[in-house]
Amino acid sequence: MSPDAPFPPIGPEATRRAFLRRALKAGAAIAATGGLAAWLWDRHPPGTLGLRAPASALPDFRVSDAGRRMAIVTGTDRVRTLRRALEAMGGIGRFIKRGDRVIVKVNAAFAAPSVLCATTHPDVAAELVRLCLGAGAAKVLVTDNPINDPESCFALSGIAASVGAAGGALVLPRAADFADGSLPGGRLIRNWPMLLGPFRGVTKLIGAAPVKHHARAGASMTIKNWYGLLGGRRNQFHQDINGIIVELAQLVRPTFVVLDGTMSMLTNGPTGGSLADLKPTHTLVVSTDPVAADAFGATLLGRTFHDLPYLSRAAQLGCGTTDFGALQPARDDVS
Amino acid sequence: MAISPSSRLPSARESAAAATVCLALCAVLAWLAHTQSRFSPAVDIAFHEAKATAGTVHAQAQDLVSPLPAALRPMSAAEAFAPETLSDKIDGKAEVYLSAGVAGLRCQRMALAAAPASWIELFVFDMGKPSNAYSVYSSQRRSDVTDLQLADYAYRAGNEIALVHGPFYVEVVATDEGPATIEAASALARAYVAATPVSAHADVSSDQALFPREGLVPGSVTLLSTDVFGFDGLGNVYVARFRDGKDELTLFLARRTGARDATAAAAALRGFFVDDCGGKEVARPALPAGAVIIDAGGSFEGVFSTGAFLAGVHQAPSREGTDRWLKRLSASLAEKR
Repeated sequence: MSPDAPFPPIGPEATRRAFLRRALKAGAAIAATGGLAAWLWDRHPPGTLGLRAPASALPDFRVSDAGRRMAIVTGTDRVRTLRRALEAMGGIGRFIKRGDRVIVKVNAAFAAPSVLCATTHPDVAAELVRLCLGAGAAKVLVTDNPINDPESCFALSGIAASVGAAGGALVLPRAADFADGSLPGGRLIRNWPMLLGPFRGVTKLIGAAPVKHHARAGASMTIKNWYGLLGGRRNQFHQDINGIIVELAQLVRPTFVVLDGTMSMLTNGPTGGSLADLKPTHTLVVSTDPVAADAFGATLLGRTFHDLPYLSRAAQLGCGTTDFGALQPARDDVS
Repeated sequence: MAISPSSRLPSARESAAAATVCLALCAVLAWLAHTQSRFSPAVDIAFHEAKATAGTVHAQAQDLVSPLPAALRPMSAAEAFAPETLSDKIDGKAEVYLSAGVAGLRCQRMALAAAPASWIELFVFDMGKPSNAYSVYSSQRRSDVTDLQLADYAYRAGNEIALVHGPFYVEVVATDEGPATIEAASALARAYVAATPVSAHADVSSDQALFPREGLVPGSVTLLSTDVFGFDGLGNVYVARFRDGKDELTLFLARRTGARDATAAAAALRGFFVDDCGGKEVARPALPAGAVIIDAGGSFEGVFSTGAFLAGVHQAPSREGTDRWLKRLSASLAEKR
């Protein structure tokens, strides 16, 4: 076979030229393959397929010396019940210090009027802002990720106007605010896009949620409220709604939560739509233990924590207690 | 320069082996191409929308109702949501519609021309067929309502109007229940129905009438589309609550294609209660024929079939009550069907 043939023999009679030619061809093939692989390589794979070792998406926002506390105040005026509940917890100053940067995570999931109680009531959001600023907070941010048209959700729920009037800063979710977050050891929250941008520099986190029936989860209260920190096609988590709520309970450790049961949505949640879905239950809860708050909230819906499987599982994992009575909650009435 | 001792041509056997390897590689390539062409939708979504926050608004060029009633003016563009994006609009409530076969949602907000602070949102759920529309309607029907003569099964509950129009389940949600707002909401519902011709209407009155009248909790008849009692093999079942003294229980019935189908459905449901739910069959009463009573641990289930109907009692507090209501339901079916 001639040295100029496509595959000249390599043997004792091989020439240096034949060897170099073959080596060049092999090198070109390797380079082409490598180039193709580099061209096809996705440097930004979807979160669920990422292989990075998960790191906790959020720090622990609890106040170390506050312990597990809870206050239950009855009344129709949300501002008064909230103020009284926080006083019973030792005052807002116990939780918010001068210079703190605070996030109030509201439920602004729907572009619905506040009268339907499908979202955090604007009075609660605004009063939390005022209280935090009054305690010396440097900045109070209010945010949520409603997915569908956040601007309308915040505007029509009344939250945008009330927060602005109270001196808070509304943070509408932008694409740049999302980053992959994980729950260490989590099964569902692994490199999942989360609303983490607003948390830069934040030192305290407050959750504020209404008491609602939920078609899939049974109820939507303070722990389910963290669902609004998830981005992406989070609706797939509805297939394991209890699992995702438990992981959110593990992931998010707030300074305290506010559960607004002034009006509770008993049916057709989480959207409701009719005033007939609501029942005046005239109760507001503040708690450093979201599991305890939600276990109490279940009673406002005519249920017990046994009806909400995620609460027992979250308690088993050390996220709180379903036996809210064990916290010896402070009770008062400001009707 | 010696690199390899071999300079011979490959043998026929070696060529065959090489060809086999090449064919195998081609097969792998074809499999890869086929698999990649049928990429998992979940992964596809993750690739393209994982970072998405807003932007799922699918604005429609036209108003949902045209012309709008004079009292209203558009407040937003009409939006449209497919089943896979429905939760962007209604979050966890989407499951209610997805399980009933929703084909899409269109919605739009309108403000009162004379009082822009009052506004109304019109939701039109396309459920594919009238029975599905009735199913989601009945599962959400409020208890304290005022019936309206606007369309099929129309009612008002406070600030909201709900109705079934052909394959569409319609909700008109207002910000308040003031007279002007409610009048505008009614006009909007009326205008939508007038502008939307449908070829078939939900007519469930004949099936609903098969339930006994005595003890029926008003407004409690519901058509469940899927996963009835948690059994994924059971759908399109009417359930109704009944008062039995101080207790309450549920009766159910479902029309099947024929007697054989109904008998098979009854056997499958019995199997679900016993095998999947850990129930124990405790009685086979003489009437209705073929009925079984199952102790489900704290409550009792009763199942039978008659003609093309699957029927029974769900979550009765006592075995005696189950037996009694099985007979009542059987008698009602025999009398009315």
